[in-house]
Amino acid sequence: MASKRISVSMNRVEGDLEVRTEIKGGVVTDAWCSGTMFRGFERLLVGRGSYDGLVITPRVCGICSTSHLVAASGALDMITGARVPPDAIRIRNIAQIAEHIQSDIRHYVLMFAVDFTNRSYKGQALFEEAVARYEPFKGSSVVDAIRETKRVLEIIAIIGGQWPHSSFMVPGGVASIPNKSDLLQCSLLLRQYRAWYEQRILGCSIERWQEVKSSNGLDEWIEERQEHRESELGFYLRFARSAGLDKTGRGTASFLSFGSLERPEGTTVGTSGTKTLIPAGFARAGGINGFDQDKVSEHVASSWYVDYEGGRHPFSGETQPYATGKENDKYSWAKAPRYEGHSVETGPLAEMVIAGNELIADLIRKEGPSACVRELARLIRPAGLIPAMEGWITETNGGGKYYADPGNVPDGKGFGLTQASRGALGHWVKIKDRVIQHYQIITPSAWNFSPRDSGGSRGPVEEALVGTKVRDPQNPIELEHIVRSFDPCLVCTVH
Amino acid sequence: MTAKTLYWLQCGGCGGDSMSFFNIESPNLADLFSYLDIEVLWHPSLSRKSSSAHRSLIDDLLEGRQPLDILCIEGSIIRGPGGTGMFNTFEGQPKKNLVAALAGKAGSVVAVGTCASFGGIGADGDIEATGAMFTKTKKGGFLGENFLSASGTPVINLPGCPCHGDVLCGALTALCTATKLPLNEYNVPLQWYGLLVHQGCVRNEYHEYRVEEKDFGDKGCLFFHLGCRGPISYGPCNKLLWNRRSSKTRVGVPCVGCTSPDFPQSYPFFHTRNLAGIPLELPDGVDRAHYMAYKAMAAAAAPIRLKKRETEV
Repeated sequence: MASKRISVSMNRVEGDLEVRTEIKGGVVTDAWCSGTMFRGFERLLVGRGSYDGLVITPRVCGICSTSHLVAASGALDMITGARVPPDAIRIRNIAQIAEHIQSDIRHYVLMFAVDFTNRSYKGQALFEEAVARYEPFKGSSVVDAIRETKRVLEIIAIIGGQWPHSSFMVPGGVASIPNKSDLLQCSLLLRQYRAWYEQRILGCSIERWQEVKSSNGLDEWIEERQEHRESELGFYLRFARSAGLDKTGRGTASFLSFGSLERPEGTTVGTSGTKTLIPAGFARAGGINGFDQDKVSEHVASSWYVDYEGGRHPFSGETQPYATGKENDKYSWAKAPRYEGHSVETGPLAEMVIAGNELIADLIRKEGPSACVRELARLIRPAGLIPAMEGWITETNGGGKYYADPGNVPDGKGFGLTQASRGALGHWVKIKDRVIQHYQIITPSAWNFSPRDSGGSRGPVEEALVGTKVRDPQNPIELEHIVRSFDPCLVCTVH
Repeated sequence: MTAKTLYWLQCGGCGGDSMSFFNIESPNLADLFSYLDIEVLWHPSLSRKSSSAHRSLIDDLLEGRQPLDILCIEGSIIRGPGGTGMFNTFEGQPKKNLVAALAGKAGSVVAVGTCASFGGIGADGDIEATGAMFTKTKKGGFLGENFLSASGTPVINLPGCPCHGDVLCGALTALCTATKLPLNEYNVPLQWYGLLVHQGCVRNEYHEYRVEEKDFGDKGCLFFHLGCRGPISYGPCNKLLWNRRSSKTRVGVPCVGCTSPDFPQSYPFFHTRNLAGIPLELPDGVDRAHYMAYKAMAAAAAPIRLKKRETEV
């Protein structure tokens, strides 16, 4: 049977991504994800001052700069042995959650759902409504999301100066000193965002939504009220199922979370006895295991870097660009991160699988991972994060301690791990004579959009694309849904 | 009047300038384009076009079938390795070629952010990043110092990491209403970059009386010890504010000079290089001897409420 190769340059992603697929008889038989830009952050950090990662690394990514700041300050906390005051941890968490809850909604409305207006859906029952909601610049949901998501970012400006690209987290805490009235402003802004999220995105209260714990419960929820069906979530589920997104884009079915949002001493937010609100872990073949950063490695067999054998832990990793190579042998500026040698997916879905979210667990048990459940996880993540953020804003004293001098930066190494909006993010840093000696960054989209490793295993998105039926190779909308369900952030990937 | 067309080209950047632009309010993004009658032909985060439709749009632009009024460039132009541009490709070809081709067609070219203006992150690195018409403070950049767009103007630089959304909003409004923007020697509009970041900082009173912090976490000024570049850097951060709320210096984060052509500086952040306890780099245009005398007197005149950090910021 004739095979056809098609290339898709992705728009509505942060950065440059090209996806190539091989299609035989209308089915994808192989796929390659290429990050097409190299910016050399890890190299330009070497030789700079020990604190410079706090300024430089947020600039890796305009959309998750706060998470890079969390990772950069976390690595320096470890190296300096800083004792971060509980209220400083709360302020860091509040800022990071604000970034997540705007990103999750912007991704769905501005990037993912726009594909529902694709001409291939013309004539289908929900098409006209999809256009009314998601048409670029004009759709009612688009206009709404642009207006509301930027407001919740004001919280980061109040406690951190600006969004994106502040550097307010420092080893030992935060540089800012928000007082009680600043925190009250934050709680009002969050209250406003919650009201909008409940009314427009969920169509019900967060509390009602959290009662949905199974796929049957989800079906009942949709039927229960018109507000549920017409909310973004309700419309999403109806459209995604009618388009078959629940049967496509399975991926590697293995999941990784670095864990994030440290629970400060004395907090009532989250489960007592746990270290972080979002647990770290590795899930594969139905089992959920603990996470150990020693098991992280990066391969460059398919990446445009000088070769080394197998995979390397980020503390011994290197980034030596090598722009040429044999055709189809090396094909991306992204390295291939692996956990215990496995190609793993990260992001909101991975977080919920590892945290044991009952609804997500039931959906995966019945339908397996899919583009539909992956985007669903993103759309409902704020329902879990908003109450935690409310709790931390209320708990913050407003006159307490936000910073404890960690002293001079000694020689040493450390890592800062967190969950950015798109998943597992880590910075691995070595300092000598108060100068950065080594800096390696692994971003969420490097996990998801990784090329093949030295054993030839595909990355998660490449894997998710294989087996997909494509009706019109000129308009491969099926592939775009799958790729976008991973929320690609290629500027991060090709740092 | 026909709509003005706009193409947004993302190069060696982080997308932060787009994110900052999405933060604008009164009017918001969608309303702004509608009020100014701007037709966005392409923005990588917002457009719906498939890759084949995008390809034909580029062909139409390059062959003159589709007029281009405004080209916004976000991110640096990546020339490495060795001038090939292969560190940043579009459909297998160096993206820098596309920058040159589109700039040659555009009525006006706007460099959004420090990377597009001056090279920014990566201007000193292997990627050989450059701005559209400058590499750091040096004229020339990628398009050359004599570049003029079809309307006869050089690239308008709107630095900042990121560029403040209101600044871009204002610049687009000026372009669409044929309002002339006076530029300084770096082709930066004086309207937004003719004032110092320091102006409007709520810590100004602490600065005045030389009540300076040596570490993070308090209310004093950050200029003498913590590397704040507010009195040296030009930008509207403390006039327009960020996200309508605050600024880095207001909350106690030293200004990193992100609007400056030499951002990021080559020496460490969060530390002020000094000469006999006085910053090596003084507020723009200030005489050293006079400044030392003034600061000594200012410190002596500092009221207790400031020394005790009682005055709120």
